[in-house]
Amino acid sequence: MMDCRETQALLNAFHDGELPAAERARVEEHLRGCPECGALLADLARVDRAGGVPDPGPAYWDRFNARVMDRVGREADGPGVRVLRPKGGWMREQLRYLVPAAAAAALVLGIVHYGGMTPGVPAPVLTEERAAGVPREERDRLADRTPPARNEEATRERAAAAPTVAAPSPAPMMPYRSAPAGSPPVTAADGMRREMQAERKAMEGAPAMKREPQAAGMEKSASGMRMAKEPAEGAAPPPASLASAAAASASPCDLARTLAERERIRDAETAQRACLAGDLDAPSREKGLVFLAELLDRQARFSEADAVIAEVEKQYPPSRPLELYLQQRPMVQKEPEAVPVSR
Amino acid sequence: MRADLEEAKDERLAALAAGGDRGAFEALVTRHRQAVYRLCWSATGNAADADDAAQETFVRVYRSLPSYDPERPFGPWLRKIAWNCGLTVRRDGNAGVPKVAEGDAPEAVDPAPGPEEAAAGNEERRRMEDALAALPAELRMVMVLRAVEGLSYAEIAQAAGIPAGTVMSRLSRARTRLLTALGGGS
Repeated sequence: MMDCRETQALLNAFHDGELPAAERARVEEHLRGCPECGALLADLARVDRAGGVPDPGPAYWDRFNARVMDRVGREADGPGVRVLRPKGGWMREQLRYLVPAAAAAALVLGIVHYGGMTPGVPAPVLTEERAAGVPREERDRLADRTPPARNEEATRERAAAAPTVAAPSPAPMMPYRSAPAGSPPVTAADGMRREMQAERKAMEGAPAMKREPQAAGMEKSASGMRMAKEPAEGAAPPPASLASAAAASASPCDLARTLAERERIRDAETAQRACLAGDLDAPSREKGLVFLAELLDRQARFSEADAVIAEVEKQYPPSRPLELYLQQRPMVQKEPEAVPVSR
Repeated sequence: MRADLEEAKDERLAALAAGGDRGAFEALVTRHRQAVYRLCWSATGNAADADDAAQETFVRVYRSLPSYDPERPFGPWLRKIAWNCGLTVRRDGNAGVPKVAEGDAPEAVDPAPGPEEAAAGNEERRRMEDALAALPAELRMVMVLRAVEGLSYAEIAQAAGIPAGTVMSRLSRARTRLLTALGGGS
């Protein structure tokens, strides 16, 4: 017959109905003659009955779906993040365009920035790419403009100004935007208009803004914005949503996160490398290297990721961020697109 | 909710949602929101972060639907995303995940006790909530998935990416700590 020690070792599994029949019978036999172990079993049931997760209440659940559907709707309607996708293998399909498109974006921005494209000619890039190129004073101004009413006003001003300036630009990166086959072509100007409509809708629906002013980040931006190219003078002012995204991405480190969130993994990697080249404290560097490894994994560059991981193991043993990432890594490697980007 | 959606299996709803059926997607949200919220709460230990993570989970589910294979069970796939979102929010503190698609105010979670809170026995419940919030996330997760969601060790192991034996030892540790906090134990 089992003794108390053996029984208690199996008590949780017994309570949870996870023991094979034979062991279960032995535990039952012991329990019949042992009130002490019986009391322990009753305690397990008591803990479980006490429940635990506080329910946020019916008012919360009443609003829950609407908030999700609102965000999902904005994603699907506005080209700012993504457009409706055809079924099946969408992301893999996109990646085929995304990587060359990102390279092209970098090239175009490089030409605008270094090649002396005539001032006054708007950069022929998409609004997202343009977000990275908001003039610094514009970013500073926007960073102060977080109250919704003022933001909305700013959005309207831009809504009036932007399309006329952006209209002449061809949109060489459309494959990245990728309307589904058969939809009418979308120009950069259309994209901006739709984006601003979505933005305005969002502003009207939002009771308050969650975003922080990011003032500290802006201070750093003087040295950190080398990643984000300055646009040609006179380029169209960007819509507020993207300007604020750029404001949030004031350092290459933040930019890398934002790009990764948008699944622009290759660009994120470039930004992350720039981030790591900067002056970071040890914990930031440790986390930054782990993030770089993840970005490499997401591009199926596993051996490069291995090298980065080896470096973290060597420099920061034992690394908690690495440990957390290694738990997720098999999943990331298996289906890089289905796993949310870790931060 | 449309009657046809109410009856449909998760995997069927996910396939419909991937094809652009918003009603099907919302049916999935309604069906799973509480479990997702609880799992996110397990990861974060507080209501505000759980809210962020739960919202983010469904947005990411929506984005990832095109790559979801309806031949595979939906529940484990959803739980993985929810758990990751929860950990992400927790690691990041209140800076939070929703950086890209902002515009949502953080939802006010009603701190006032509901009428049922007045009932006897709720003092124990409240102490349990505090004790659970004080556990390490890894212990909290197994506890919530087992005691609240009723998942098997194998299902918990899959969600957490740990062996089933570890599930058992974590559950044992979690219950011992909770029992101590409840001020009882034999």
